[in-house]
Amino acid sequence: MNLRFPFGAPSWPGGVPLPPAERDLGVHYDSDWARSPLARLSRSVIQTSLTNPVVRAITSPTVRGLDRVAHLDEPAIFAANHSSHLDAPLLMAVIPQRWRDDLFVAGAADYFFDTLPKAFISALTLNAVPMERQRVSRTSARRATTLLDDGWSMLIFPEGGRSPDGWGQSHRAGAAWLAIRSNKPVIPLYVEGTGRILPKGARRVRTGKVTVNFGAPLFPPANGDARSFATAIEDSIAALADELVSDWYTSRLRAGASATPSLSGPDAPAWRRSWALTGTKSTGGANSTTKGWPWTAPR
Amino acid sequence: MTRPGFVLEVDRSTPPILTWHGEGYRLERLPPGRSRVIYPPEATEALSDPDRAIREALLNPLGDSKPLPELLSAGMRLTIAFDDISLPLPPMRRPDNRQRVIEAVLDLAAGAGVDDVVLICALALHRRMTESELRHAIGDRVYDSFAPSGRLLQHDAEDPDGLVHIGLTDAGEDVEINKRAAESDLIVYVNINLVAMDGGHKSVATGLASYRSLRHHHNVKTMRHSRSFMDPEHSELHSSNWRMGRLLAASGVNIFQIETTLNNDAFPASAAFLQKREWEWSLRDRAGFVASSKALSVMPPRSARSMFQAIKAPHALTSVHAGEVEAVHAATTRVVHRQQLVDVQGQTDIAIFGLPHICPYNVNSIMNPILVMCMGLGYLFNLYRGMPIVRKGGVAILSHPTPWAFHPVHHPSYIDFFEEVLSETTDPAVIEAKYEERFATDDWYRHLYRTSHAYHGVHPFYMWYWGAHALEHLGRVVVVGGDPKAVRRLGFSPATTLADAFEIASDVVGRDATISHFHCPPIMIADVH
Amino acid sequence: MRALQVERSLPRFAAARIASRPLALRLGEADLPEAPGPDWVTLRPKLSGICGSDLATVFGRSSRWFEPIVSFPFVPGHEVVAETDTGDRVVVEPVLHCKIRGITPPCTACTAGRTNRCENLSAGHLSPGLQTGFCASTGGGWSGAFLAHRDQLHPVPAGWSDEAAVMVEPVACSVHAALASPSEADRCAVVIGAGTIGLATLAALRSLRSEVTTLIAVAKHPEQRRLSVQLGADYVAEPSELRRAVRRATGSWILDSGQLTGGADMVFDCVGSSESLVDAIAVAAPGATIVLVGMPGHVGMDLTALWQRELRLVGAYAYGPEARAGGRHSFDLAMELIASRDLGRLVSARYPLDRHCEALEHASQAGRRGATKVVFDLGLEKRR
Repeated sequence: MNLRFPFGAPSWPGGVPLPPAERDLGVHYDSDWARSPLARLSRSVIQTSLTNPVVRAITSPTVRGLDRVAHLDEPAIFAANHSSHLDAPLLMAVIPQRWRDDLFVAGAADYFFDTLPKAFISALTLNAVPMERQRVSRTSARRATTLLDDGWSMLIFPEGGRSPDGWGQSHRAGAAWLAIRSNKPVIPLYVEGTGRILPKGARRVRTGKVTVNFGAPLFPPANGDARSFATAIEDSIAALADELVSDWYTSRLRAGASATPSLSGPDAPAWRRSWALTGTKSTGGANSTTKGWPWTAPR
Repeated sequence: MTRPGFVLEVDRSTPPILTWHGEGYRLERLPPGRSRVIYPPEATEALSDPDRAIREALLNPLGDSKPLPELLSAGMRLTIAFDDISLPLPPMRRPDNRQRVIEAVLDLAAGAGVDDVVLICALALHRRMTESELRHAIGDRVYDSFAPSGRLLQHDAEDPDGLVHIGLTDAGEDVEINKRAAESDLIVYVNINLVAMDGGHKSVATGLASYRSLRHHHNVKTMRHSRSFMDPEHSELHSSNWRMGRLLAASGVNIFQIETTLNNDAFPASAAFLQKREWEWSLRDRAGFVASSKALSVMPPRSARSMFQAIKAPHALTSVHAGEVEAVHAATTRVVHRQQLVDVQGQTDIAIFGLPHICPYNVNSIMNPILVMCMGLGYLFNLYRGMPIVRKGGVAILSHPTPWAFHPVHHPSYIDFFEEVLSETTDPAVIEAKYEERFATDDWYRHLYRTSHAYHGVHPFYMWYWGAHALEHLGRVVVVGGDPKAVRRLGFSPATTLADAFEIASDVVGRDATISHFHCPPIMIADVH
Repeated sequence: MRALQVERSLPRFAAARIASRPLALRLGEADLPEAPGPDWVTLRPKLSGICGSDLATVFGRSSRWFEPIVSFPFVPGHEVVAETDTGDRVVVEPVLHCKIRGITPPCTACTAGRTNRCENLSAGHLSPGLQTGFCASTGGGWSGAFLAHRDQLHPVPAGWSDEAAVMVEPVACSVHAALASPSEADRCAVVIGAGTIGLATLAALRSLRSEVTTLIAVAKHPEQRRLSVQLGADYVAEPSELRRAVRRATGSWILDSGQLTGGADMVFDCVGSSESLVDAIAVAAPGATIVLVGMPGHVGMDLTALWQRELRLVGAYAYGPEARAGGRHSFDLAMELIASRDLGRLVSARYPLDRHCEALEHASQAGRRGATKVVFDLGLEKRR
């Protein structure tokens, strides 16, 4: 039975390139079409008229630290912590214009690219490019470095996926490795608050306030040691988080003393990890405000 | 790539020349054959990675200073002093040089585990900065780290408990500076060197000094013997500061000086015509000029003022030097001169100074008549090396609306100075002898200086002394387009148009007087031979 | 004889007020009133001044307060130098008190010698009238001749010009005002207004109140500023500069709302408008005395400061024996002051009666036009 649109499937407009006939999914999904002029225009329209206003309305973002990247005018890799599906659209909305227009997002191949519609929407709206969570394969690495070399910037979540419990996860070395391969600076980002608005597994969005803190760019080390560079990125994001809860100089003092609170929470049973996230009610007395992680992390 | 300064001989085919007029500008045609226009050098190249340059300067200091990390240790008292709202002009886009440098210094201090850090705005007798001005200068991160816990201070030259008398120089000058700074293990001074007058020993010896100490060099005699105060080698103002600085060093006050310089890029791209040579104006520049002058002509002065005060300059960092004060300042002065020196042959009978909307003392404020005098005869007149661009007994023509208007919060003592002192006399020496002490010790001014955002009671006197050398040198001062009443109160002659001003000047310098038009801003130093 | 007369005519007063022209006044022939008694003499004015209260009357701006204590039609003019039948020059002390009205016994004030506070201004054998120049039974100075009681006459010293003599009455008012504030600790005085009364008050303060160390004058016009300095002001401020000038002189502060923490110890309001009185209260130190010298009329203002700072607001009207000057009469003190400070020069224009409109216009714009005292010259009026 042929139902007419919108009850049936829409016809494909002539001006929009068809997704490739070889409909490989997952990491093999070819998203090149999403960087054609028409797709870029559509994405720009969708972002400015739909996703950016909606994301801003939901999250009322406060952006800090932009001055630290003010003088940087080259393609860069944005590495952020990840706790919500909102992170990518939010960052697409707050990353400065000079990067935003040529930005692609490294998306989990097994999640965003498992079905054709999901792959299509991810590629069109976020300019997502599939990438493995655990270990970057040669295919996706080549694709990413080619794009970076072509002047594109990348947004990547080095944790490899959203936090299951609100605490951060340990970083994979993919971001560091790609930065070294393509010799691009990494701009660490810390996103605070999206986990409260739309945590993993939530069915409802509630509005709230988020803060995005931009860090000073990190340049790949001359010796090409991806592991230590990944650690540097992780430390830098942890320091950005610390900055939001204390102040900048205190965070620098703690960083100087290697005492920055870890983003991954206490090494303890699950209930204590959750308990630590709920705040300081138990000890702070009647006037204390409820604060989430990570300032309650035990030292 | 960037062109040096240039002196244009005006002929019949020379287009009219852009002349600043407060919150606005005019195109003025100059008499051919006897006029010249002095243009500043174009903006020199910026440092490509300012943060790296700063770090390198801190690690490789000049003079006999050790690298900064070696001077920092846990448990020490560290004071970081920085230049106030008077620099740079116009205020620069974020991030400000001070923020970059202070963050780099603090990064090292944090690495060394220094807990006792205090930041002091070295404002001398200037007004205290507002929160937003401080945030702009030192950045939100530094502000939020130090202000809430009371570790971001503004120097108070009238705090009886906050000053310490270090001693007397050979010339008998009191050296009295901020107590916290003096009693620190290390003072790191973060400077922005916009003109050759700034920096060096003047940073601490003036910026953190008390009134008692300042009056030894901020007086008529010193200013008349500073020719000019923009040329430290021939400036009594600087000799005095250097004596004080050396006494400080000898008394065990450790100063790690960090000086930064900026290029001449003073206006955003949309107003690029303000720093271009007129015959090179593109269609866009001309459209920009016409549209903006039309808009300004119908705009109420208050809106024009807020529009101009909102200008943030795209100034870029061109050098940073750190280490021992004198070695650092010598290197800085070389860079400033490279950006600002213009070769000029000989003096002329008349000099035209178009005064822009801003001077060091009216950032986010009103350029009152006293500041008009200071900007014209203090700053612009003194931007020379060798000899003034106008001959002795010549005429200075200033272009500024000179409204009878004062910012009531920032300049309370200026109002009284204008109403009371200038209605009696305009002679700097008489003013100093008869009125300075009363204004300097007036309780109300002191209260406003210490708790509000007011310049010190004595500050308008300094503004007047700043022009003392010019007043002595010049035969007459004409103000074009100013409020006649206010101009007369200043002791100057009002003129409606530039042609009228030439007419008035001809009484003093004759009909065929030679003319220099000082095409500033951007800032330059006329190297007059 | 000819005289300028004011008749009771509400339409005329209203018209004068609206048009700002001296419509309440009419020049015409008039008869000299009958002498009320043997002590009365006929005076022929030589010069007759135009005073602020006269202007208020002829421009229809007078307070209704005066209604029961004037009698129509009257001939204005109470600042008069005149000649008696015997050719002696006299100045007139115009207050029409008990003795002049033939009332015995006199009221308490008159008994005490303070004739300016007389209670019987509408009784006795004269028509109501507070002064010569407001009374139908006596006539006034703006005419060829009028009547005066012998007790009203003060002889003009030999060698005096008519200009100097015509200044005696207004200067006596200023002398009385300058001596009206009682405190001995007064140090800073402010005189608001630099017309005849203001300038004379400055001169009087300088001569009679040695404890005044700082004397601030408020003047609007260049000539007034010049004269203020000549007559002893230490500093002359524009009205808008007054608060700052007083602050400087007294070392007080200006609070956010614009009020001073301290202020002047005595303030003389020689204008009498709401604005001037507001200024006067604003610059008065706690416990200070504000003297109303100029005739105020209706004013509207906030009196909180008057209450909170315990200010004394006092009037100074006319003249009499001055307790602060050993009981000497204001007129005598005024004569000394005029002689020593050459106040005759304050007379800046003379007009015949025919040009009275011009004269009154000139007087009402005196400051702006660089003038101080405008007078009628009656020397040319025919004797009949």
